[in-house]
Amino acid sequence: MTKESLTTQPARAIDAQAMLDAIRSAGITHVLTVPDTHQRTLLALLAETDRPKLITVCTEDEAIGINAGLYIGGARPMLLIQNNGLYACLNTLKAIPLDAGAPTFMLIGEHGRDLTRPSRENTERSVRMLEPTLEAWGVPYYRLESPEDLDNFGRAYRQCQEQGGPVAALVGAPTSGVSRSTIKQEER
Amino acid sequence: MMRRKEAIAALAEGRNGAISVAAMQAIMAWHAAGQAATDHLDALGCMGSASSLGLGIALACPDRKVIVLDGDGCVLMQLGSLVTIAAEGPPNFYHFVFENGRYETSGNQPLPGAGRFDFCRMALAAGYRQALGFDDAETLRRSLPQVFGSPGPWLIRLEIAPDEPVTPWPDVTMAEQIKALRASLQGGNA
Repeated sequence: MTKESLTTQPARAIDAQAMLDAIRSAGITHVLTVPDTHQRTLLALLAETDRPKLITVCTEDEAIGINAGLYIGGARPMLLIQNNGLYACLNTLKAIPLDAGAPTFMLIGEHGRDLTRPSRENTERSVRMLEPTLEAWGVPYYRLESPEDLDNFGRAYRQCQEQGGPVAALVGAPTSGVSRSTIKQEER
Repeated sequence: MMRRKEAIAALAEGRNGAISVAAMQAIMAWHAAGQAATDHLDALGCMGSASSLGLGIALACPDRKVIVLDGDGCVLMQLGSLVTIAAEGPPNFYHFVFENGRYETSGNQPLPGAGRFDFCRMALAAGYRQALGFDDAETLRRSLPQVFGSPGPWLIRLEIAPDEPVTPWPDVTMAEQIKALRASLQGGNA
């Protein structure tokens, strides 16, 4: 696990296109999402491409199950969710990635994060409990706190594929880039 | 109303090489029918996830049929999965739901709303291509070739009699099954 969150540097946005490039470089075929406000510009880019295929699901439990099924069938899937979504699917996380060892890579947005503070020093419970929750469940995680951390994406995905089980990459700041919804709002 | 064992026997006879995913009380019955040795996965410790596991396999392996042996309480636990399955619309996906109105594994407590909801109507309303219900094994057995001969996603409701729960779980772990099934689907190269 990396401990970059202990620094006092504010989290800075990673460009959505750079994130999509990292996803493609990792050979990911499917992105399973319950949409995350924090990563909406990345979701907007994913919605415009079939490489990888974006699948929107109703719950994070479903995302974990479909991810495992795709992996069994030879695909290279990943999850794109938010911190609150992780809390919602802990039993399924326990059963499929942890107990059964299905590789489950989770890109988790820290929804509600005060960017000027380290993650676990945020007043918002859903933010400050994310790292302790992952540690309590034995889920390795990497931080994506700034554009300089983008290499952690590939490291995290490789670890997940090589060791099996869950690995998380935590997105500290909202991804940058102009989302389609932003464009529509500006057109009004 | 049929017994689970009778429905399982009909499904075993009609399986015809389909990949299977089983949940809860269907698990040991499917093992006992000799259907779990190959191309099979048990959804252990993740009640409600069998259909999602099956959906992922069906999307990754469009040339293979996937059958999910689910429970009524399991479907209720992840009811939104009906919508997700319908949205993806895999034609090779066949969702069998054993319905006895009970949480059998935990001691036969009644489901909320047992007898008042209709899985076939729910599935069709969610966007499944087809849905049918059966309450006797012989009709089920005779109908399976027609079911498997037409594209899914299908939901097939199996009305079964309440039974005493089977509490032991299989000796094989889900981790071992994932490894074996992945290897089988990729010609032993996983």
